[in-house]
Amino acid sequence: MTLEAAGFWGLAAVLLASSLAVVLTRNLFHSVLYLAVALVATGGVFLLLDAAFLFGVQLLLYAGGVVTIVVFAIMLTERLVGERIRQTSRSLVPGALLAVAVLGSVCVFLRRASLPVKRPPLAGALTAALGEALVTRYVMAFELLAVLFVAALLGALYFARTDD
Amino acid sequence: MAPAVRDLIAAFVLLNGVIGAVTYVTLLERKFTARMQSRIGPYRVGPHGLLQPIADALKLMMKEDVVPAMSDRWVYNLAPLAFLLPCVLVFGTIPFAPGLGLADLNIGLLFFLAVSALEIVGLFMGGWGSNNKYALLSAMRAVNQIISYDLPFIFAALIPVVLSGTLRLGGIVEAQQGGWYVAYPVIGQLGFLAYLVAMLAAENRVPFDILEAESELVAGFRVEYSGMKFALIQLAEYAHVIATSYLGALLFLGGWLGPGPGWLGAVWFTLKALAVFLLVTWVRWSFVRIRVDQILAISWKLLLPVTLMLLLAAAFVVAYQGGGGVA
Repeated sequence: MTLEAAGFWGLAAVLLASSLAVVLTRNLFHSVLYLAVALVATGGVFLLLDAAFLFGVQLLLYAGGVVTIVVFAIMLTERLVGERIRQTSRSLVPGALLAVAVLGSVCVFLRRASLPVKRPPLAGALTAALGEALVTRYVMAFELLAVLFVAALLGALYFARTDD
Repeated sequence: MAPAVRDLIAAFVLLNGVIGAVTYVTLLERKFTARMQSRIGPYRVGPHGLLQPIADALKLMMKEDVVPAMSDRWVYNLAPLAFLLPCVLVFGTIPFAPGLGLADLNIGLLFFLAVSALEIVGLFMGGWGSNNKYALLSAMRAVNQIISYDLPFIFAALIPVVLSGTLRLGGIVEAQQGGWYVAYPVIGQLGFLAYLVAMLAAENRVPFDILEAESELVAGFRVEYSGMKFALIQLAEYAHVIATSYLGALLFLGGWLGPGPGWLGAVWFTLKALAVFLLVTWVRWSFVRIRVDQILAISWKLLLPVTLMLLLAAAFVVAYQGGGGVA
């Protein structure tokens, strides 16, 4: 087994275990910590695929940013307001069914696509290529996303406004 | 020797070097602040107190390890490690001199920023796991502050990236051979200033130390920690300050560039980093703590727009001159 394969299976095990723990732990705070582990492991998969830039962005935005904001919300509600929130997992069965269905369809698509046996090496400077693609080929989608974010920001401001 | 073995040895040497250096930086800070306050500082242990950090480390190792009964045990015990790991990991990508460094990554700066963003996870693990109101309040304040100051810090650190056209830290230094970026007209000076302010805030040092605030929160998120775990947290904090000082020296003060033969590079770099560190320490012991709302106002109303404008200005300059970028 190559080092890459060993790394992948190791990461896959961590990713699966921590993702399951996210939805199955009852303690909401522990759940977020497992989420952080899962997000870092996802970054590790990017790293194995030579996509170092995506690894950095994954860590910065998800493990650093998203987890921080989620923790902020939990701390505000649980310990300071005094309301203990438990993860209930009420829709366990429908959720599991949905997950299996998604997994099944992904597998079907993977079967139909003819994947190369060996991963082709990533050519050239990934970071520069990504940057260039964002401002040339995908500039429309990029700008539309920016509009979407501005709209979300304005919406958040609207909800957070005080009456006076 | 297999490359993997060589890398392991290099990582081991670097890790221990960092830990040793960081323990002595605490002595440097104590001596420096003592001089600022007309005191002598640590003097009894060894000549001029030179053995003080070792005595401190031994004392902390022998202290009793108290775990609060109502703490979230796993989270509480893992927090110091989760806090320390990113703080020493960032040293892996810093090139101390040409070819002297663990890995001069292509995404060096991004790696540095991304990994140090993980530091906050360890911090709120400690704040939460202690099950202590002071610790929790401190962790809340930390999260608050880090959300506000991550962006200006990243934007300020990206200015040299735009000017040099590379994320590789070694490449940024090489691009400064014509002149350090701190000497770059207007953009360089303001960028360095913004970097220093954002660094103070990101390191939670006075005047931005509301999460530690001895007079109101005892010692912040580490109030329940004792012995070796406390030592690890302190170590991590200082390691991060030193790493950020190195980064500042690298981004704006030309890294290892300096007169003399090539092997002096690491010395120059370390001296510059220590200068940045002492500048920050100087500020720390000269100003008073500011209020939460003032901290947030400085970030969102001043630092964020300024760094954004500087970044844009740097991009325009590069586009106008045709230099820098990948093309």
